[in-house]
Amino acid sequence: MMGLLVQGVLLGGYYAILAAGLAFLYSVMGIINLAHGALAVVAAYMLLLFSQMTGMSPFVGLLLVLPAMAVIGVIVERGIFEPSSRGGPLLAVLATFGMSVVIDNLLFQQFGANTQSLANFIGDLSWDSWDLGGGLYVGKISVYTFLTAVFVLGGLQLLLTFTPVGRAIRATAQDSDTAGLIGLDARRIRMISSAIAFITIGIAGAALGMRSSFSPYAGGALLLFAFQATVIGGTATIWGTLIGGIILGLAQTLGAQIAPQGFLIGGNLVFFAVLFIRLLRGDMNWRSVLRLNRKATQ
Amino acid sequence: MNSTEKYRNTVSNIRLPRRQFLQGAATVGAFTAFGMRAANAQSSETLKIGFISPRSGPLAGFGEGDAYVLAQARKALADGLSIGGKTYAVEILDRDTQSDPSRAAQLANSLINDDNVDMILASSTPETINPVADACEAAGVPCISTVMPWEAWYFGRGAKPNEPSPFKYSYHFGFGVGEFVKAYTAQWNLIETNKKVGVLYPNDADGNAVRAVMVPQLEAAGFTVVDPGAYENFTTDYSSQIAIFKEEGCEIFNSFALPPDFITFWRQATQQGFTRTVKIAQVAKMGLFPSDIEAMGSLGPKLASAAYWHRAMPYTSPLTGVSADQFAADYETTEGRQWIQQLGASMSLIEVGIAALEASGNPKDRDGVAAAIAGLKTDTIGGVVDFSSGPVPNVAHGPIFGTQWVEASGGDYPLDYVVTENTTDPNVPVQAKLIPYDG
Repeated sequence: MMGLLVQGVLLGGYYAILAAGLAFLYSVMGIINLAHGALAVVAAYMLLLFSQMTGMSPFVGLLLVLPAMAVIGVIVERGIFEPSSRGGPLLAVLATFGMSVVIDNLLFQQFGANTQSLANFIGDLSWDSWDLGGGLYVGKISVYTFLTAVFVLGGLQLLLTFTPVGRAIRATAQDSDTAGLIGLDARRIRMISSAIAFITIGIAGAALGMRSSFSPYAGGALLLFAFQATVIGGTATIWGTLIGGIILGLAQTLGAQIAPQGFLIGGNLVFFAVLFIRLLRGDMNWRSVLRLNRKATQ
Repeated sequence: MNSTEKYRNTVSNIRLPRRQFLQGAATVGAFTAFGMRAANAQSSETLKIGFISPRSGPLAGFGEGDAYVLAQARKALADGLSIGGKTYAVEILDRDTQSDPSRAAQLANSLINDDNVDMILASSTPETINPVADACEAAGVPCISTVMPWEAWYFGRGAKPNEPSPFKYSYHFGFGVGEFVKAYTAQWNLIETNKKVGVLYPNDADGNAVRAVMVPQLEAAGFTVVDPGAYENFTTDYSSQIAIFKEEGCEIFNSFALPPDFITFWRQATQQGFTRTVKIAQVAKMGLFPSDIEAMGSLGPKLASAAYWHRAMPYTSPLTGVSADQFAADYETTEGRQWIQQLGASMSLIEVGIAALEASGNPKDRDGVAAAIAGLKTDTIGGVVDFSSGPVPNVAHGPIFGTQWVEASGGDYPLDYVVTENTTDPNVPVQAKLIPYDG
């Protein structure tokens, strides 16, 4: 039982890292990015290419790939998020969905259907574990992923709360016109937010590639878990994503303990229970039900 | 002898029109071969064959070699087919399902209604084949398919045991659960174990079929099956299953999980110390193609698999005259990629289709072609396909033999795929002894 709880919490860390970029983009920019999973897979392929070409570890590759993701974030903000947001939130959702389809198929065209993994470039790390005694093993990669999740989400929270950039991001998200009156360049701030979100998507891609495997169409499944973790955690605070991830991970592991099929069902039940409780509390409009009311900025 | 004769007949059927064609081309002189072929293709005596397979999407691994196979087949058929004294040009219309069952049905309907095909060939997985076979059955167009368990094709589409076959136009050849049981039983008896088999079968068409049909047969063969129960695809944590396998001390492991799920499972099982005690790790669905195993890094080699085609098969293509081994070698040279078992399956599918059209006497008569398939016995690059002696009507048996991925001792590719067991087709040479996974 102890083992299962530990596995569930560690799994939650993985979900949190997958969800960080999705939650951040929504909470500070109001964009539901359905291309989130596809973009993480793009980052994983960039790390793969780097390691294949240089023979170096994908951890070194992150030094190149994360800045590249930031640049992509700026381009996507200017080319897709900003123009489509002007047409209303629904158009932005459709635009990101379209982007995910384009990305999936470009990846397929470029790399073929083969299953890929970054595990081959990091020695035995993907399947090494620590023996804690009493038959309890924890995977090293799971622990590292969890610590990264704490570090990334904590870092984002600190950034938003205490730094001038963070204050500017919050101000712009809350009321970009008024923020403009006091001299903040809203477009520039949005570009910075998008760049930050894409860096965390890059980290999600690395976690995906090292922990499991990916192929051009792997983004969909990843988006699903990221979305569930985001909604369960709510976007009231960035930290909430970590809590959401852990709740999802625990619900799935405990569900699987009851019956193997309970893995996904456990997660889905908690997801719906969270929605239901918010409904009962009287938040009848869907935005507040999904807790997508961007309180991070208030 | 019979098979050699058959092969010679098939070859002469193809070569005869070529000679006529060459003479014709020589007298006309001014026409290039390409121009002639185009002119031929436009005449009313063109046979159109639809070829539907997954070339993109999650199942794209199956379709990876199809472009090469189709190019070889088109080259061999460039001079047309002579059937019943008439020469027909042959046009193969290949279509990609994008791994989507509803798209597969649409493609079949459009080939039937817009392109007026005379026959449809479909390959790889129930998601591709069943919708196509149903569309053909409804429209009265002959359809031949391969590469999925025939039980899921026959019973999965509404046929009942011990009743006449409800199908008139759709036919299928290849392995079934019975072949898996034979291959697994033989393979697992190659190494001394406690005969306890941990199984990871998902809650999907294949997983539930093997759970219902194969598990009882494995238990009858003396194995103890430890099944933690069905799980959903895309599960990301397998702690509870691994705990059960460890507790039971399973020394054999069998999986029908999707490749990404198996990779996740196997890494977690290694973290938890389970894989160090597994003697035979027998995977299905996963490990059909080298890229799956390469993605597993140092955990990949010594995984056991099962093959429906192998370059070691002692057969030659009646269509191209190329042997199985040469076919795989040519693919590697031309495409710069390691051979895959689907190459032979796709080629044999086209060969069976052509043989059926020839056997019909009148390939434009759809009922006649369908009836000809029912009694067809023909050679392919994957061995004899015999519809007259199948397990049920409309189905012909095919082999599945035990294999293992091992580190290559030289050559261009990191892994070798060797045959370790040949119960379902003793003509295939056993190439190596099965190595224990933990050894």
